[in-house]
Amino acid sequence: MENVCKQALIPRTPTPYVLQLKASAADNTISLISFIVFLIAWELICRLGIVGPYQLVPPSQLVSTFIIKLTEANPDGGTLFEHTETSLLLALTGFGAAVVIGVPLGLLMGWYKPLDLMVTPVFDAIRPIPPIAWIPLAIIWLGIGLPAKAFIIWLAAFVPCVINSYTGIKLTNPVLTRVAEIYGASRWETFYKIGVPSAIPMVFTGLKLSLNASWTTLVAAELLAASQGLGYLIQMGRRLSRPDIIIVGMLTIGLTGALMSWGLNLIEARFASSKRVRL
Amino acid sequence: MAQRPNIKIECRNISKMFLTEQYTINVLDDVSLQVEENEFVVVLGPGQCGKTTLLNCMAGIIMPDEGKVLMDGKEVTGPGPDRGVVFQQYALFPWKTVMDNVSFGLYIKGVDKSKRNATAQKYIDLVGLQGFEKSYPHQLSGGMKQRVGLARAWANGPDVLLMDEPFGALDAQTRYSMEKETLSIWEKDKRTVVFVTNNVEEAIYLGDRVVVMSCMPGHIKSQYPIDIPKPREYTDPRFLEMRRKISNDTELSL
Amino acid sequence: MIASEFFKKGSKLFLPLLSVAVCLSIWEVLHLIIGGDFLPSPYQVFKEALRMFSVKIGGNTVWMHIFYSLRRVVIAYLLGAATGLPLGMYMGWNRTFDKVVKPVFEVLRPIPPIAWIPIAILWLGIGEGPKIFICYVGAFVIFVLNAYTGMRYTDPLLIAAARTYGASRRQQLFNVAIPASLPSVFAGVQNALSMSWMCVLAAELVGAREGVGYLIIQGMDMYKPPMIMVGMIIIGIIGASLAVTLRWFERLVCPWRRDLT
Repeated sequence: MENVCKQALIPRTPTPYVLQLKASAADNTISLISFIVFLIAWELICRLGIVGPYQLVPPSQLVSTFIIKLTEANPDGGTLFEHTETSLLLALTGFGAAVVIGVPLGLLMGWYKPLDLMVTPVFDAIRPIPPIAWIPLAIIWLGIGLPAKAFIIWLAAFVPCVINSYTGIKLTNPVLTRVAEIYGASRWETFYKIGVPSAIPMVFTGLKLSLNASWTTLVAAELLAASQGLGYLIQMGRRLSRPDIIIVGMLTIGLTGALMSWGLNLIEARFASSKRVRL
Repeated sequence: MAQRPNIKIECRNISKMFLTEQYTINVLDDVSLQVEENEFVVVLGPGQCGKTTLLNCMAGIIMPDEGKVLMDGKEVTGPGPDRGVVFQQYALFPWKTVMDNVSFGLYIKGVDKSKRNATAQKYIDLVGLQGFEKSYPHQLSGGMKQRVGLARAWANGPDVLLMDEPFGALDAQTRYSMEKETLSIWEKDKRTVVFVTNNVEEAIYLGDRVVVMSCMPGHIKSQYPIDIPKPREYTDPRFLEMRRKISNDTELSL
Repeated sequence: MIASEFFKKGSKLFLPLLSVAVCLSIWEVLHLIIGGDFLPSPYQVFKEALRMFSVKIGGNTVWMHIFYSLRRVVIAYLLGAATGLPLGMYMGWNRTFDKVVKPVFEVLRPIPPIAWIPIAILWLGIGEGPKIFICYVGAFVIFVLNAYTGMRYTDPLLIAAARTYGASRRQQLFNVAIPASLPSVFAGVQNALSMSWMCVLAAELVGAREGVGYLIIQGMDMYKPPMIMVGMIIIGIIGASLAVTLRWFERLVCPWRRDLT
């Protein structure tokens, strides 16, 4: 905007928020209608008996099951809150531990060649193996319980953190590094003041992938070996032939995952909005 | 008895503004321009004064808020093959070879393969890219890419050619040779051209008429018919005189 | 001269071999520290691999197990591409269609594919069905998202250029928008494949009689860490091979992508 000649700029009052809302409301009406139609169709399919009660339940029943499960521990042994809490705790712990170790490791590996040479072969050997494939080994090592699950989740979250931090810092503009060198900055100072800040966008990409991976892996781990948590909930739902519990569980899983991602996006907007390197 | 000049494309009282959060930006204010058939008109002006917007209005890519663009007397409502555009950023299709890029317009029209390849070949030769028919844009230099852009627009046989600072991204040497080439192609294959630039020398070298635009907001300041016979010499005294006149003019308007 | 060229060619092979040697050494050291029962040595794993490839496990040879897993992945993956790519592209191209489909898609999207396993088993029983379904869901979502992004973020300049040649909306779609979105599609193609591979594994862990997931579950049930590790290595190798194959295929289809060569 600085290039535009000033006389051509006429200040205006920004479009009132109400009008902006009105404009986007028109957009969203179609989506709303489509969603309502979808729900109605779903309801009808179930009510008319096209699909049996052991396969699918109508949305109305889902709502009632949801409300019941908020406070009722039967038939699976925990309320919805308890399950969600368990899952969240586990996932966020694994995620947090992975970030705390993985991001610095990735950044340092990308900056200091000796570290890179040492760690990369091991990393590249571990990487192609999906975290889920570690579950049997983890169970033999750590038994069926929290430690095994935590390990798998940590592993799943660890890899994207390292890779994205590594790539991020490798993409540091070499011109900037050279400028710092000319001004006499040490290797560590350049790392800390130029490399790391410029890698932040990619670090956040890694964080998002990592969060997604930890949540997904958590569900897998809980499906296989758990006594509480959302993964356990949907598994129980299948054992009890209660599709309503399964679907409520699935939607809760989806919603919680989405909320966490949204939270991460907020954090990113707060701390990483400026892509410029601050010297 | 003088023949009335045939007006090929004209802008009548074009105004255009853009809205941001805090400002209304008047990009074009009551711009009127008439271009005769087979005339080479150059629109000259500093950066950010609406030249590209004007050209886009003429192409039909954007619609003016006020006024209208008329082509052969009929109002322009959208882009079309009768108005070819050469873009500053080349806008080549990266997944198509040079030959496919140049013959694109004909392909859209439904011309069959042998005919359109033959026509495309003619223009590829004209811009001096023989041998590069099977190359992809990413394998070409900037100058070569713009030559493909030229050939592509020209090969489609538009009545009017709109060129938006096509040589702006090129280095000086390439620029000179491209200007020469454009002129020679135009001499061989005459059509109406509206050429936008911010370079005074380029304007005088190419144009039958130079239209000077100025900022705040974009409007036409003055027009200079150039009577020097083509091809022109950058060092010719008449050229330099013209250059002095126009430079003074544009300087005052900045 | 010849020596330095030889060295350059040699180092391409030399470095990966060196990393492999490094890994094996670290592994051996860990084995000696942790103890044979928990962490078998590389040699034990090697012996186990030889044994496994010479017998039938659960009624099938190891190669058959690999085949079963791959077949599930390939079917689900191709189905996902065939349905997801057109859907995503059309959503990116047609705003109204986007608005109609978006709500349902956005509700289903955050649900991890693995979370579909229980309901898939409920619907499709225990057999090939749920496994292919899970992989399909995983791949489908990724394909839709990438096709959508590719289409939406097509350079508007290219569309404008096509319009100046008189291209109709349909011509713009097929001649400009779709080719322009292919690079983004291919970025997702790799992700979709690794997701499918992961999903088939998860589905097999939950309940299968054949497949590489079955192999490692057997190893767990029989309390044989070497067997598990052989299975894991097989899984890793196949996953990597799939990625390499895909990259080769991508280079074939998109010759204009200079960053691939």
